Amino acid sequence: MRTATAVPIITAHEVGIHFPVAGGRTLRAVDGVSLEVHRGETFGVIGESGSGKTTLGRALVCLERPAAGRVLHDGDDPYRLSAAALRRHRRDFQVVFQDPNAALDPRMTILRSVREPLDVAGELPRAERTRLALEMIERVGLNPEFADRYPHELSGGQKQRVCIARVLTLRPALIVCDEAVAALDVSIQADILNLLADLQREFGLTYVFITHNLGVVAHISDRIAVMYLGKIVELAATELIEARPLHPYTRALLSAEPVALPSHMRSHQRIVLHGELPSPVSPPSGCRFRTRCPMAVTRCMQDVPAWREVEPEHFCACHFAEDVGDAIVPQRPGGTP
Amino acid sequence: MSERTIDRPPPAPRRGALVRFFAYLRTDLRAALAFTYLILLVLLSLFAAVVAVHSPLAQTPDILSPPSAVHWLGTDDLGRDVFARLIHGAPMTLYASFLAVCVGLMIGLPTGLAAGYFGGWLDTVISRVIDTLLSFPSIVLAIAVTGALGIGLTNSMIAVGIVFSPNIARLIRIQTIIVKGELYVDAARTFGMGPARLIVVHIVPNAIQPVIVQVTLLLATALLSEASLSFLGLGVQPPQPSWGQMLARAYGYMEIAPEQMYAPGFAILCTALAFNALGESLRTLLDPTRRRSS
Amino acid sequence: MTKRQIVLLASRLVQVLPVVVLATVVIFGLLQLVPGDPAAVIAGEYATAERIAEIRHQLGLDQPLWRQYLGWLFAAMHGDLSTSLITGQPVVEEVLRRLPNTLLIVCGALMLSISVGVPLGLTAATHVDSPVDRVVTTIASLGVAVPNFWFGMILVGFFALGLGLFPTTGAASLFQDPRAAVMHAALPSVALAMGGTAEIARQLRSAMIEVLGSQYVRTLHAKGLPQSSILWRHGLKNVSLTLLTVIGLVFNRTLGATVAIEAVFAIPGTGTLVVTSATNKDFPIVQGTVFVLVMIVIGCNLLIDLLCTVLDPRVDK
Repeated sequence: MRTATAVPIITAHEVGIHFPVAGGRTLRAVDGVSLEVHRGETFGVIGESGSGKTTLGRALVCLERPAAGRVLHDGDDPYRLSAAALRRHRRDFQVVFQDPNAALDPRMTILRSVREPLDVAGELPRAERTRLALEMIERVGLNPEFADRYPHELSGGQKQRVCIARVLTLRPALIVCDEAVAALDVSIQADILNLLADLQREFGLTYVFITHNLGVVAHISDRIAVMYLGKIVELAATELIEARPLHPYTRALLSAEPVALPSHMRSHQRIVLHGELPSPVSPPSGCRFRTRCPMAVTRCMQDVPAWREVEPEHFCACHFAEDVGDAIVPQRPGGTP
Repeated sequence: MSERTIDRPPPAPRRGALVRFFAYLRTDLRAALAFTYLILLVLLSLFAAVVAVHSPLAQTPDILSPPSAVHWLGTDDLGRDVFARLIHGAPMTLYASFLAVCVGLMIGLPTGLAAGYFGGWLDTVISRVIDTLLSFPSIVLAIAVTGALGIGLTNSMIAVGIVFSPNIARLIRIQTIIVKGELYVDAARTFGMGPARLIVVHIVPNAIQPVIVQVTLLLATALLSEASLSFLGLGVQPPQPSWGQMLARAYGYMEIAPEQMYAPGFAILCTALAFNALGESLRTLLDPTRRRSS
Repeated sequence: MTKRQIVLLASRLVQVLPVVVLATVVIFGLLQLVPGDPAAVIAGEYATAERIAEIRHQLGLDQPLWRQYLGWLFAAMHGDLSTSLITGQPVVEEVLRRLPNTLLIVCGALMLSISVGVPLGLTAATHVDSPVDRVVTTIASLGVAVPNFWFGMILVGFFALGLGLFPTTGAASLFQDPRAAVMHAALPSVALAMGGTAEIARQLRSAMIEVLGSQYVRTLHAKGLPQSSILWRHGLKNVSLTLLTVIGLVFNRTLGATVAIEAVFAIPGTGTLVVTSATNKDFPIVQGTVFVLVMIVIGCNLLIDLLCTVLDPRVDK
């Protein structure tokens, strides 16, 4: 488990990612997000589509360059490296995308796709690369006969296994799983999640698990960050979030979660909140959640709630986080300063 | 829970691209005809000296004679065998068309790829240049460039190629922008793949299909341009035979020997039709909305 | 006209400027393509050193490149496109004297292309996969594959030499002798119209098929509007933007294709001018002619852009 003294594998500090949109305005997909991911843990990020969670995930593996703030890998800024050094460095930080269809080049055989990271690295002889790729294909539960097939001959779940095998060839330190199971059949989802859990034990991986499905994220994550409209509104250990959610948005998510229903029924359940997600191009003033918040008062319209540690290791950005925290009897873990 | 059995691939019959292509030709009569015609034309070009009994350059006193058993298509104003000149014109035509398209690709592909991949100010500049070049009436620009480079078949076809390049650049630029946004390109970037390799391995193979169609259609345009330029005396130089230039000569003697202008004209028409037909068939064959059934 | 449209129109005008400037750079740059010393190449093999120096000076080749360009551009803006190296005549006069002959057959061809191509395309679109459609598509594929100058030769052979209905070659001024001018322009225009007709018919056919298949037109059918009314009132209105764009394209192509046609009919137009001057290496004339033609095309494209903007407020960049 994580130790407080070690340098986090990922440190995001006030990260902002902006996209230009029509009319000369900017879309702040991610706006002032700070978080730390520790080596060996599974860090869940949950949010609706449009919350900026995918963009955040892309920034963590250097696919989007932050317009504001910094993303540090092991305490260092990867963008300070030379182009060649950055290309070598980013092999340690991999991503499994939501859509395995789009993540595989349709013109490449499965073997070429899986071997591609090793080919790029170019450190091993070709025969060795092929052997390692085939080994990885087998490790994720695919028959090596798939090696000379093309992606369109495979099912979605098989393709996702290929994508996982592909990133594993690099023996990365961290994998961002961006809705890695959302596009798959429910029966396949569990298979892939179990595979990911097995691989974490085997290779000592760190995961950042991005999803809109609280059931999935709570099941496998050590800590959870809740995102709303480009900002993280609450961050804490999974048990803490489930036992004592401080932010009204988190509580809405939890209340919408049916407890004893199979997951395929869950995925169709929409979170019951009034109104639509506001446009991130022109977010509401003050607290971004106020337009849909059952507790909103005038103050929420004027002041942006501060991001603060409401109780040890439990962060939240809501004006009333302390009131909620008092209302529920706190169970402080012993020994923390 | 998950069953630990290893997924096995279904047995799928695998066929090579060439086999698929011939299977397709059987379903598309027009493409089959065009393809056969072009193959014959290539063979004819390679064995022109064998097929044509007479020399295309040998002059005889027997001028402007009508078609006969000796001279199948008659003789021209210098007593040269028209059939021999027609056959020997084929390799000229093919060389000219392919040269023009190759020059167009060599200029158009890198600029279009660079504009699409790198974007920013480079894209703005290249796009403006493309817009500008497309405002020039193409033959007029080709003539002006030929005048500057010097008259002759190779120079005039380089000129035509230069005129083609903005068309190709515009097409590949749009395709590059589309492919660049694909997830597999992002994935390759996380593996540390550099821009040059990314373009060669992922972008070009996935962006090139519409260009292949366009290139086939441009072959017809190149052929017609070569004929026009040779007709105008800016392309193939005498005494080398070329279809466009044969028409120019035949026109001078139209009142005496009108039949001489038909053979070269039909040769140009049929070849242009064949390139166009092949291009249109390739377009249908490669159309993504038609695929995914195999 | 709405305020938004005015803004759009203004932005179109501004967008044309870089294209015009780049076009002048390209035309000026033509001379840089000449291998070796342009002055020596232009002067010919047997020229004296004095003659080469004279040409070099006349073309301003003894000055730095940017000064050459700016000088050329400045003069061109004042309507001075230099003088012919062979006749010594001002280029502008020569080009403008020949331009009406070219524009006459180009405009004739354009009108023919539109008046034949539009009905062909519409008929084919309303009878998809019928024999009529197949005839139209065949004509369209023939039209783009026929060498237009060959078609012109056949027309001369049949209508001028054979039937004697039209003069074989030459041109006449539309203002001095309109009848002769039209008679002279008739065959060249027909020969020139072939490609444009095919292009318009083909593009209009596919655009119309798309419109006829749309939800909107199916609703009109359901409302019980007669077929002809739907076709003309709604269909044509919706494909008019496609038509305008195609006309712009066809105008550009026709202006280029006229070069070979002018040679066939011995018309003293800009096409024959550019060919003879390119052959004679009379570069001021080549540059001047290309300049005038490109400005006409850019002007025409701008006009079509403006029309599209006015006709369809949805057109957005």
